[in-house]
Amino acid sequence: MPPFNRVLVANRGEIAVRVMKAIKEMGMTAIAVYSEADKYAVHVKYADEAYYIGKAPALDSYLNIQHIIDAAEKAHADAVHPGYGFLSENEEFAEAVEKAGMTFIGPSAEVMRKIKDKLDGKRVAKMAGVPIAPGSDGPVSSIDEALKLAEKIGYPIMVKAASGGGGVGITKVDTPDQLIEVWERNKRLASQAFGKSDLYIEKYAVNPRHIEFQLIGDKYGNYAVAWERECTIQRRNQKMVEEAPSPALKMEERELMFEPIMKFGKIINYFTLGTFETAFSDATREFYFLELNKRLQVEHPVTEMIFRLDLVKLQIRLAAGEPLPFTQEELNKRVRGAAIEFRINSEDPLNDFSGSSGFITYYKEPTGPGVRVDSGVTTGSYVPPFYDSLISKLIVYGENRAYAIQAGLRALNDYKIGGVKTTIELYKWISQDPDFQEGKFSTSYIAQKREAFLKYLKQQEEMRVALAAELQARGLMRSSSTVQTSSNKTSNSAWKTYGIMSQASPRVMW
Amino acid sequence: MKLYRAYLDTGDTYLLAVDSKGDKRVVKTDTNEFTIEYLGKGTRENEYLFKVNGTIHRVYVESGYVLVDDASVLRLERLTELPTKEGESIEELIKGKEGEVISPLQGRVVMIRIKEGDAVNKGQPLLSIEAMKSETIISAPVAGIVEKILVKQGQGVKKGDVLLIIK
Repeated sequence: MPPFNRVLVANRGEIAVRVMKAIKEMGMTAIAVYSEADKYAVHVKYADEAYYIGKAPALDSYLNIQHIIDAAEKAHADAVHPGYGFLSENEEFAEAVEKAGMTFIGPSAEVMRKIKDKLDGKRVAKMAGVPIAPGSDGPVSSIDEALKLAEKIGYPIMVKAASGGGGVGITKVDTPDQLIEVWERNKRLASQAFGKSDLYIEKYAVNPRHIEFQLIGDKYGNYAVAWERECTIQRRNQKMVEEAPSPALKMEERELMFEPIMKFGKIINYFTLGTFETAFSDATREFYFLELNKRLQVEHPVTEMIFRLDLVKLQIRLAAGEPLPFTQEELNKRVRGAAIEFRINSEDPLNDFSGSSGFITYYKEPTGPGVRVDSGVTTGSYVPPFYDSLISKLIVYGENRAYAIQAGLRALNDYKIGGVKTTIELYKWISQDPDFQEGKFSTSYIAQKREAFLKYLKQQEEMRVALAAELQARGLMRSSSTVQTSSNKTSNSAWKTYGIMSQASPRVMW
Repeated sequence: MKLYRAYLDTGDTYLLAVDSKGDKRVVKTDTNEFTIEYLGKGTRENEYLFKVNGTIHRVYVESGYVLVDDASVLRLERLTELPTKEGESIEELIKGKEGEVISPLQGRVVMIRIKEGDAVNKGQPLLSIEAMKSETIISAPVAGIVEKILVKQGQGVKKGDVLLIIK
């Protein structure tokens, strides 16, 4: 018996398709929603049913709670999966879904409210024994107090807005003078942007790794931690390459985090999937808790690969009230090999990662051993400029990290996308970089390697353009197309065809 | 020597200065130089072999698309020859195009801050283009007088489109 009958996916692109695959496998009906810009999108075609929810800008469609609830009621859905981004961590949306008599596949509005503020998260983390960065315990009331505290923990520090999110309202400060300057301005900005002017300070981790832990909980207080994902390779605080397990951690180090994280879950009665983002220092071997993401992560497939789990199906079953099907020991025994995810973004690494929208005119996906593609596009798909630039994810698996990188390079070479610019060429460079292969990197990897990869990418691209121009000049583009059509031509004579067929077939033809 | 502007289907444009030396061709681009030699057809249909700076590359043609070493795909939409003056070097040729402000990305013009006839300083913001939820400000590459504005507010532009000309 499937836990639900009809599940609406309130998202778009690759994650909508990914979630629908789980829904279909569980024998339920997958329902899509779409905006004006996504009329012909892959996730709309892939669903069993699809409902229009508004104009292209996200505020009129994928961020519009009323439009999505209306669609869900019209579709008689009994559960709603929010995916990631958009409304996935919006407690009003979770509440609206619950009020409409449907199940929200994610944490309840009540749980979300308990850790709404970043400082709430920090307080609970401290209670549970999850290590946090040295800094203020609560909002810092005055600049004098801030200066005193900063002196104690040592510069550089971070000044953060308590209600901020998505990298907004965070400033790095190196000196007391700078702190005085930043303080008033950030207070004003915070009250304008979030309606609350509370600021707090925290020690700045220099060149950390970004490591996150996957917490899984059910409604009966059972928890397990599906190890970690290393998401250190980022640009502008946006992840690009993720992997599991982390090449930097020893088993003792990761195990140390399991207990406190489960305790954190227990304190706030958390159930479903949650991700603990931490900064990890290679030098001090310490974790600093950053925040808890209350949703399915973009990079969940790397965990799925090494544990041979389906996190989406698990998330749906947990939302329906089923108990956690394994213990921590059982989970630990499931781990095999290493997995890496490359986020295929339609953006231009040569142009400071600016977005590239348009039609995908050429599309070939890699397949074969150790390769998984979670894609939201195909040939002829339109990449609209209104939403995130993530169009697909390439996940590779190997019996160890080195083998995964080999599979990755092969699959990246096989992945061919024309019409929009993508990050594929950059990932080929990263896969061949000795520092990446040895697992030596920090969150400033992209910034540090910028010059080297830009030079390489530019040289490669200009060489390809020069070759294409040379082909054109020699008239080779034209001759090839006629060759292709004539080679496909079949024999005109039906008798000739019959003769060939009768010779080719081992059976007597009557 | 001939000067070409290559337009890719992604909206990118490249300037190529091509010099023929016997059966080899020397192609100069913005930052690189390639000596290209055509080695002939490969062993498969639609496969051609080129030697670029000493390395052999397999180039495969598939209905308008060019695949280099069966790894990267590219489509040349247009290749136009640009007028050149006798005796000009590539640096001079590329410099002559400097006053042309070209859109670095595909998007929509949201605000034009200047009008024709305005004097602008180097680095002064000229207009902004919105794409993928973010606004990109285009600033003047050189100081001078705005001779012509070729776009209107709200207009969609492709990468490589000439937005305005500064003299």
